[in-house]
Amino acid sequence: MSALGTPLLVDSVTTIPPFAWIALAAFVVLFLPRQAGHAVAAIATALVGIQAFLIDDGIYAEAAFLGFEAVFLNVDPASRTMAIGVGIIATAAVIYSWGSEASKVQTAFALSYVSSTLGVIYAGDWLSLIFFWELMAVTSTALVWYYGGDAIRAGYRYAIAHGIGGTLLLGAVVVHYVAVGSFLFTAEPGIAAGAAALLAALGIGVNCGFILLHTWIPDTYPRPHIAASVFLSVFTTKTAVLVMYRAFPEGALWLAYLGGSMAVYGVFFALLQYNPRRLLSYHIQAQVGYMLAGIGAAALVTSEPSSFASASGIAHAFNNILYKSLLFMAVGVVIYRTGENDIRNLGGLWKVMPITFAAYLIGALSITAVPGFSGFISKGMVLDAAHDVDTVPFLLGEDLLWWLLIIGGVGTFMSFIKLGYYIFFHGESDIQPKDATTGQIVAMFGAGAVCLYYGIAYGGFLSLLPGSVEWTTDPYSTGHLTEAAGLAIAGFVGFALLKKPLGKLAHVMRDVDTVINPAVFYTGRVFVWGVTEVWAAVDRFVMNTLSTLKRLGSNPEATVRKAGFGTESKPIYLRSDVGRSVFILTTIMFVALVVLLFG
Amino acid sequence: MSDVVLPLLVALPIMISVLPLIFGLKYENAGWPIAMGGSLTVLALAVYTITEVAANGRLIHALGNYPQPYGIELVGDELSTLIVLLIGLVSVLVLVYSRTRGPYGNAFHSGYLLLTGGLLGVVLTGDLFNLFVFLEITGLVTYALVASDRSGKSAYAALKYVFLGTIGASLYLIGVGYLYVATGTLNMRDLQGAIETVGYTDPLIQAAFGFILVGFALKVALFPLHTWQPDAYAYAPDSVSAYISALVSTAAAYALIRISFDVFTVEFFLVNDLISTAIMAAASVSIVVGSLLALMQTEIKRMFAYSSVAQFGMIVAAIAVANETAVFGAIIHLFGHGLMKAGLFMAAGILAAVYGARTIDEYAGLANRSPFTAASIAVIGIALIGIPPSIGFLGKWFIGLGAVEAGEWGVAFVIFVSTMLTLAYVFRIIEKLYFDPPGDPHGHGSDHEHEHEHDGAATDGGHELVADTSAVTVGMVVMVVSITIAVVALGFSWELFFDLLAPVLERFFQ
Repeated sequence: MSALGTPLLVDSVTTIPPFAWIALAAFVVLFLPRQAGHAVAAIATALVGIQAFLIDDGIYAEAAFLGFEAVFLNVDPASRTMAIGVGIIATAAVIYSWGSEASKVQTAFALSYVSSTLGVIYAGDWLSLIFFWELMAVTSTALVWYYGGDAIRAGYRYAIAHGIGGTLLLGAVVVHYVAVGSFLFTAEPGIAAGAAALLAALGIGVNCGFILLHTWIPDTYPRPHIAASVFLSVFTTKTAVLVMYRAFPEGALWLAYLGGSMAVYGVFFALLQYNPRRLLSYHIQAQVGYMLAGIGAAALVTSEPSSFASASGIAHAFNNILYKSLLFMAVGVVIYRTGENDIRNLGGLWKVMPITFAAYLIGALSITAVPGFSGFISKGMVLDAAHDVDTVPFLLGEDLLWWLLIIGGVGTFMSFIKLGYYIFFHGESDIQPKDATTGQIVAMFGAGAVCLYYGIAYGGFLSLLPGSVEWTTDPYSTGHLTEAAGLAIAGFVGFALLKKPLGKLAHVMRDVDTVINPAVFYTGRVFVWGVTEVWAAVDRFVMNTLSTLKRLGSNPEATVRKAGFGTESKPIYLRSDVGRSVFILTTIMFVALVVLLFG
Repeated sequence: MSDVVLPLLVALPIMISVLPLIFGLKYENAGWPIAMGGSLTVLALAVYTITEVAANGRLIHALGNYPQPYGIELVGDELSTLIVLLIGLVSVLVLVYSRTRGPYGNAFHSGYLLLTGGLLGVVLTGDLFNLFVFLEITGLVTYALVASDRSGKSAYAALKYVFLGTIGASLYLIGVGYLYVATGTLNMRDLQGAIETVGYTDPLIQAAFGFILVGFALKVALFPLHTWQPDAYAYAPDSVSAYISALVSTAAAYALIRISFDVFTVEFFLVNDLISTAIMAAASVSIVVGSLLALMQTEIKRMFAYSSVAQFGMIVAAIAVANETAVFGAIIHLFGHGLMKAGLFMAAGILAAVYGARTIDEYAGLANRSPFTAASIAVIGIALIGIPPSIGFLGKWFIGLGAVEAGEWGVAFVIFVSTMLTLAYVFRIIEKLYFDPPGDPHGHGSDHEHEHEHDGAATDGGHELVADTSAVTVGMVVMVVSITIAVVALGFSWELFFDLLAPVLERFFQ
């Protein structure tokens, strides 16, 4: 973007991989007073966004890593878009942390998590990507654990899920290297077909929240500190979407329909939740479904260019980073002020907390894709891509994929009407909590402003995206507006009709839960028990062997005596004396000569 | 004319080694300043030589201007000057350390200089017989130094080393004799072509290699020819342990690399496939058994000694793998192991001097009282395991990578196993140092009253009743800590090594 010719100094400064200074900032934060530390952290994260705007496409910070070529700063439209999103939201989240009494240690953990996220985003090769990917798992687990309480157990499950996912991806990378002979993205677009692709799909799928691999999301994200949730809710899953794009740049049929299914599945379960952060967590799965549908549809679109479909996925990831964190912030403020984690116990807060309500409204209007907000643009792109797919024709001449996404869209409307209704309306408030703190307000409206800006002045946003210039349809065309209106009406009508049944269903579903959850739980339990027991057996075996060896080894004379050599009074001298050593030497010499001369 | 520096490097320490004795007639403490002056000069010359060689390629000096192949040559290439630099560095470091820790006396310092000169000769000579002479000088002085604290145990250890070392050197000499019979020359550069002419499968050549190999296997202490080494390292005075563990076997392993690839050449290994396999098998056994034996030790210095058996096994295995990556790894590991062992033995010496702690159990809780020394042991130990960033990691990584490249999965597996075992014994030490409450060998109870007394950290002693802080100076701790920092910092330096060694590796594997 520095086509105007930036000075040389700026160029050299802008080519530092941002993970480096964020990691540095993470250390610095620990040693500064809380306020100054958060200021430094916010500046450091803001610089990430600025750098992303300034730097030209290209490959920087090449290095030899363990004898392999590695690229730590690979700038292309996809990585730039993600980095801008991360820069904006990390800054907002740092400010939010400052406004939410987050300790500086927690913010330091969060920064280390942001640092590894940026490492993944800007990686130009699979080796450094998997390195930072594993680091992300470690740093985010630390962030969860830091909160203590029931976040600890959830953190364990989180760590296990990501350990498995990371190992699968690591396997994929190794297989890819064997097949291609290089880790660099430039050597081969996407991951090698076959075993590598399968392993990568599953490994990345854990982080994307594939159906059945998603349980860690609603399990973990409602539990830690509210500011930690803001960080967590956006980076891991959306980075995974980018990595999925890196692995399958051409898209794939299975990916598109899996994405569509995730949109419906996630929304359905979101509708049944009454814990606000849990509800939002299910929406993460649903939203990631839209992104994957876009990326996957690249392989299916008939008249649109395939790069447009990929771009729609990346665009939605970018917007989702903004509004999903905004929603987590707004809901976080409510939890922060009321201490309440069940929305049925809340109500009427719009009068008491009007600022928070406004912030929530921006986030909700964005995620439900109301015209004027950023979600409208990118969801429109995804729907356009799906509109162009003609693989599994369904109703009214539209493809199944399109219908899945539309159903997901209606569900999203219903879900956010529900969330807003219960928290902010739903009778009079019997409590008088204060509204958001200054830091929280700055953070929420900073993120909200970007949501609005990119919803209206979408031109600048589209120019960031890979291949988006080819999108010829006007986002505010009648077709798109009708679509949005349709979604909204269906959402309101649906919520009005289904509010009671949903409440009942939530009861019923809890019963269903008691069937499904125990099944999952006990399967998991048996599995965990099996693994634990096997591990314990291995552990016992190793420790016993070690202690036996140690016993035998630390008193070798006694060992030999037990074996029947020598007596208590006349022990065998075990250390080789000179004579025995010379004998060994001669023998070895003899053997060596035999091998050499007659071998 | 810069090649004059080569004979100077060898001759200077040997010549001034008589000075401590001469001045000792008049001054009681003449030895240390002279030894220090000599070592510093060696270090300065080493730095000069390595920059010169890195810039202009290898230096060759014909002693006395006798024509080749009759005269003796000294050769300084990138590999030998790297080891020369290590010798210079360690000499200075150990002398700073031994000033307080001992041994003292003029005779010791004479021997010290003589050993330095002998090692430099081993590394710089370009003549096989001359190499034998320097090996003998090195050997004889080492025997003397091992016994220099005049205890019965060290005397026995030295005697064992005398017998075995002499036989090892003799085997080498027999091998050299065979080579001379076969080719009529002793000059290394000359031999390379001469051996090719005679043929790599000629029984004389094969037998010569066998004798030389076994001779060096003893000198570098490969299992089961290591029997002299744990005794020598464990019973020698701490300063001497640090010096010989860092340099003596290193010089022998260097010579083995030199002879293998400059004299016999990689062709010899290709033709005699079985030899490579046999060496790899022997080295692998050495790696595993050395690590296992280290794991079983209760005495710290013995543990480090057995660890050397494993590390040199790795280096010899890399020689047998005989490809560029593995040999590159072997050279890095040679250098890195020298530094790491010097640091570990010095640190162990400090804890022994202050607390009398020589076994693992006696290390309990010492991290609180000697934070710097304990941290150094922990960090160098972790480097020895091969955890990045550290030079220990680089060596192991490239040896492993080379083995995989050559398809020698067995070697790679053995290195992995030894890493696990190293992890086990290093963590035994770290656990004792950091997580075990101090024991009460003297009946004072394992109290925690000293936990907050870190202000004595600079002297690294604390105020323990059993602690003898006067035995240790700040300088000694600084030496250990700076080695620790270097071990970690060099973990980022593989490109530096690669650029330096590229010409040598290219010559080895044209």
